[in-house]
Parts: sequence; C-alpha cells; structure tokens
Amino acid sequence: MAAPGVLESDFSSAVTLLKNLQEQVMAVTAHVQALTKRVQAGAYPTEKGLSFLEVKDQLLLMYLMDLSHLILNKASGGSLQGHAAVLRLVEIRTVLEKLRPLDQKLKYQIDKLVKTAVTGSLSENDPLRFKPHPSNMMSKLSSDEEEEGEAEDGQSEASGKKSTKSKKYVPPRLVPVHYDETEAEREKKRLERAKRRALSSSVIRELKEQYSDAPEEIRDARHPHVTRQSQEDQHRINYEESMMVRLSVSKREKGRRKRAHVMSSQLHSLTHFSDISALTGGAAHLDEDQNPIKKRKKILKKGRKKKGFRRRR
Amino acid sequence: MNDTVTIQTRKFITNQLLQRKQMVIDVLHLRTSTVPGREIQEKTAKMYKTTPDVIFVFGFRTHFGGGKTTGFGMIYNSLDYGKKNEPKHRLARQGLYEKKKTSRKQRKEHKNRKNKAVGTAKANVGAGKKSKESRFCNDYLQ
Repeated sequence: MAAPGVLESDFSSAVTLLKNLQEQVMAVTAHVQALTKRVQAGAYPTEKGLSFLEVKDQLLLMYLMDLSHLILNKASGGSLQGHAAVLRLVEIRTVLEKLRPLDQKLKYQIDKLVKTAVTGSLSENDPLRFKPHPSNMMSKLSSDEEEEGEAEDGQSEASGKKSTKSKKYVPPRLVPVHYDETEAEREKKRLERAKRRALSSSVIRELKEQYSDAPEEIRDARHPHVTRQSQEDQHRINYEESMMVRLSVSKREKGRRKRAHVMSSQLHSLTHFSDISALTGGAAHLDEDQNPIKKRKKILKKGRKKKGFRRRR
Repeated sequence: MNDTVTIQTRKFITNQLLQRKQMVIDVLHLRTSTVPGREIQEKTAKMYKTTPDVIFVFGFRTHFGGGKTTGFGMIYNSLDYGKKNEPKHRLARQGLYEKKKTSRKQRKEHKNRKNKAVGTAKANVGAGKKSKESRFCNDYLQ
C-alpha cells in the first residue's frame, strides 16, 4: 500500500481528473445518442458505398463494444484474466492490422471519391479528365460505317479531353519548364551515384552479411558485370543465328567484352577493392596499379563547328 | 585421335518465299585450323545430296580456343533461284557474277561531263580524251 503522504498529494489531482472524466463522459454520451438516433432514422445509407469500409466500420464498432464491456468489468472491480472479451479484442485487432495495407492501396481512390463528392466535379488539371471517352469520339452523323471507323481511331488516342457540357475544345494546360541544372546539383547527383555504387561493393556486402540475421546464401559467385556481359553475348548470338546475319561489334562493346573476360580470368578482385570513399567521406583513392579516374570535360571548343566530321570516340 | 572435320546443322528452316533451305552450320575441327568455305560447301552438298553450286555458305566465326566454327548456309532449290535471290557479293565468290571495275572517281567525272551535254549529245559523251579533243576542234574552228 502507498504511503499516506503520496495518497494525499494524489487526492486533489484524482478529484480533478474524475470531474473531467465525468464532464467528458456526459458530452460523449450526448454525442453518441444523437448519432444513434440519426443512424436509426436512416440518415447514413451505406448500400452504395465501399464494402471494405463497411467491414471496417463493423469491426470498429465491435471493438468498441468489447472495450466498453471490459472497462465496465474493471471499474466494478472484476479481473480481466481469461475474459472472453479479451480474446475477441485481440482477434479484431489483428484483422484490423491486416486490413491496413489494403487501406493504403485504396487510399488514393477513396480520397478522389470524397473530393468529387464534396466539390461536385473534378478539378481542371486532374489527369483523370484526360482519359479517353469513346462515346465522345463517335461522330454524330447518320452513317454507321463512319461511326465505327471513327470510334476505332478514337479509342487508340491516349488523351481525348472533352467535357460533356460544353462543345468548345480547351487544350490541357501543360507548361514547359526551363532546364536549369547547376554545378552544385550535378555534384550532388554524382555523389549519390558514387554512394549507390559503393553500397553494392564487395566490402559493404560482406559487412552486411556479417551483421544481418538472414541465412547465408552461397551462390555461383560471378561478378555482376560478367553475368551481364555473358547475358548480352547470349542475346547477340541468338539474334545472329535466327536472323542469319553477322552484327558488327563497336569499340565500346569490344572493350566491355574484354574487360568482362579479364575480370573472370584474373585474380584481380582478390586484392583490389572498389572505392567506398563516397560513404566514408574521405578523398577518392585508388591502389597504385589501377588506372586513374578520368574526368570527362564537356567544354566545347570555339571553332569546332564545321571542321571535319563527328569523330566517334 | 579425331582429326576429321564434322559438320552439324542447326535451326533448319525451309524458306519457301525465297525458294531455299537455310540453316546454321557448326563445324567441329579439333587440332586443325579453320576449315575453308569451299570445303564446307562440298561437305554440306554430300550431306544433303545436292550439287555444291546451289549451296552458299557465309559468316564463319571460330570460337575462342579453336576447334569449333559456326556459320550460316543456304541451299537453293535450283541455281536460277540462287542467282535471283542471293546477294551479289556471295554470287561473286562463286564466280557467277562479275562486278564492273570502274572506279568511283571515273564514274563521277563521266556523270559531270554528261550533265554538261544536252539531249542526244549525252549519248556521245565518252571517255575523257575524246571530249577534250572535240572541244579543242570546236574552239579552233571558231
């Protein structure tokens, strides 16, 4: 039992709390009684609504009933041990939690419907307005063949906006935006790309394997570049054999192939690790026998316009 | 010891539109260099029991490490169809087509000379020497 000093200090706060509780309970009861009267009078018809929402309503109501039953029990001094209502509550709670992802998926549709119901019509820049209306595409002339032909043509159009009320064509408001990438943005993008590359390097992957709880996967460990190149080679061979032609291999393709081949035949990956300076924050640093990183400069020279053809690098 | 040349065919299609049969040819030639196209032609002819002149093979590439070569082959229903449907460079390999040997520069010069003449005189425009002579005579006479 608590000491009498603690009891006395709690006494006043308990009294205020109980008074608050009483007021709130009266307000809630009045509200609930008004709601019940309106529901019984049929002011909220739900036949044409979403059945999913109806299920959710019913589940929430059952939850509330069970909860209030338990509160009543507890308030009159009974124990909650092994009470049937507790099990029911748990069941309803699990069902509600399983419904939550469904809710997320329907959220967009429900919001749209609610907005339409409230405002009475769709907003002007709403992309839903651009869906094809085949009935608007058919010509109102008397000949049947023309109607069929035009209907087929119209249905292949991606965006045909036509409001049923006015016949005047209003084009959609699409404004071209000026492209303005500053040096800072380019730097940021480059950094992001380097980070992504660093995350998939062998060092970070091994760290992940060490600390994760997932079971260890042992695969036929080929470097992803090598598998990609071998897939492309296979695709090329299939194409050549089915079309009975020989395709030419560009310099880039040759370089890629050579690099992939070299990667699989050398022990390069044993001692050379990819650069993870993007994650650690240090300067980009390569091992001595690796080729230096070449930065591509896109500065155009002034008199370059007419002399010579475009040289393929 | 297997030093013989084996020919296998894959992806065999009978192409009725071009009156031929087309396929992918795999040549296995361990311990020998790449087999020349003529030999492959003869061996395919023996395999399909035709004469070697309706068979056209091309596009042979040897795989890394040697021993296997892959290429394409076409067997026409008759030599006339072959002459009609096969591209000229492959006919030239078999001697059924002769390409004219005029150089590009000569052709362009001839065309430019021809463009200067009008009407029936276009047919009289021959090689370079002749037209210079005629021009000299004309100038001298006038």
